[in-house]
Amino acid sequence: MHVLICGGTGCKSSNSLQIIENFHNILKEKGLQDEVQVIKTGCFGFCEKGPIVKIMPDNTFYTQVKPEDVRRIVEEHLVKGRKVPELLYMNPENKEHVSDSKHMDFYKKQIRIALRNCGFVDPENIEESIARGGYEALAKCLSEMTPEQVIAEMKASGLRGRGGAGFPTGLKWELCAKNKADQKYVICNADEGDPGAFMDRSILEGDPNSIVEAMAICGYAIGATKGLVYIRAEYPLAIDRLKIAINQAREYGLLGENILGSDFSFDIELRYGAGAFVCGEETALIHCMVGQRGVPTL
Amino acid sequence: MTKVKSLADLKAMREKLQSTLDVREKAENPESLVQIKVAMATCGIAAGAKQVMEHMMNKASELGIAAVFTQTGCMGYCHAEPTLEVRVPGKDPIVFGHVDNNRADEILTKYVQNGELVEGIIPVNYETIDK
Repeated sequence: MHVLICGGTGCKSSNSLQIIENFHNILKEKGLQDEVQVIKTGCFGFCEKGPIVKIMPDNTFYTQVKPEDVRRIVEEHLVKGRKVPELLYMNPENKEHVSDSKHMDFYKKQIRIALRNCGFVDPENIEESIARGGYEALAKCLSEMTPEQVIAEMKASGLRGRGGAGFPTGLKWELCAKNKADQKYVICNADEGDPGAFMDRSILEGDPNSIVEAMAICGYAIGATKGLVYIRAEYPLAIDRLKIAINQAREYGLLGENILGSDFSFDIELRYGAGAFVCGEETALIHCMVGQRGVPTL
Repeated sequence: MTKVKSLADLKAMREKLQSTLDVREKAENPESLVQIKVAMATCGIAAGAKQVMEHMMNKASELGIAAVFTQTGCMGYCHAEPTLEVRVPGKDPIVFGHVDNNRADEILTKYVQNGELVEGIIPVNYETIDK
């Protein structure tokens, strides 16, 4: 059995790390530490009811778990196979507890694409990403495709920016690839300032390896060897996890010199923003990163 | 850490690592897999349900059967423990009683793989509302 505990910012601030520790201790006490795996994941998207504890394979979804509830979950659910009803998610419409996440209205209509690994893998362990097919797209690009083919594929996919303007990604890459320069950079805009918008944070905290891989693919397509992530300093957890992912990717030869044994080299650095809303705009962001005032080019 | 040198290496690595996520991958889509619920209340545990479950899990992966194992509370058949419910996709669930390691093997090789019924079936007298 796997116990997934949300380690995103929301759940972490309501004490999920203590919950994880309690699980480790109590499972050890019961001699179950080899049978039950405890995994700290990214966000489940249900921060309102955090901290979330999910038990697999039965998809049991416990909400607002307190550290002192852990003993009951272990003794009742993990040892005896009886779910703890009070901790199950309650459907606000009929006030009934829902047995598992598959039956929660919130998840029923969701198809997760960008966030497919979020709340599923341990974001601090690159091996879990690899087990889900992470870095295979990069490997395929480097070994089987030319940069032009990668760009053509991007254009054919119809992928567009998600920032509002919806600029076609393939076209953007093509323009960058055509541009002549001594040194090109891939910039990942992880500045997020709209009130209540946490999608960048979710993906960076929950699945940072997908960002690393995507940046490297972009670098290969446009001929850049350096990547920069502009991220706000208010996202300490996202920064930590991204750094861990970058270091692990370097260790595995998925980032750095001669990636995957090819001629292509690419590395990523972080640049911190101070949280100015306007610095999410492309030109202001670039000004800010080179040390100028963060104002857009007019 | 030795560096990954090619797509083939990466794929081989993925194959090796995949089993670590098995429990979670299967949970994504349990309806399409064989679901086996083992009654693990006091009566079941006392009768050895845990050992049978472990044995069965190993056997299933040995035979390459994609099955999800869950534990459940007492199903009310304390006289026939260990009991387990087997739900093959598209079929009604069947409950087997007095399951020891040998019968567990039989259930997997005969019932799950070939659809033959084996000894020890308990007529199901309950329905789940959870549809």
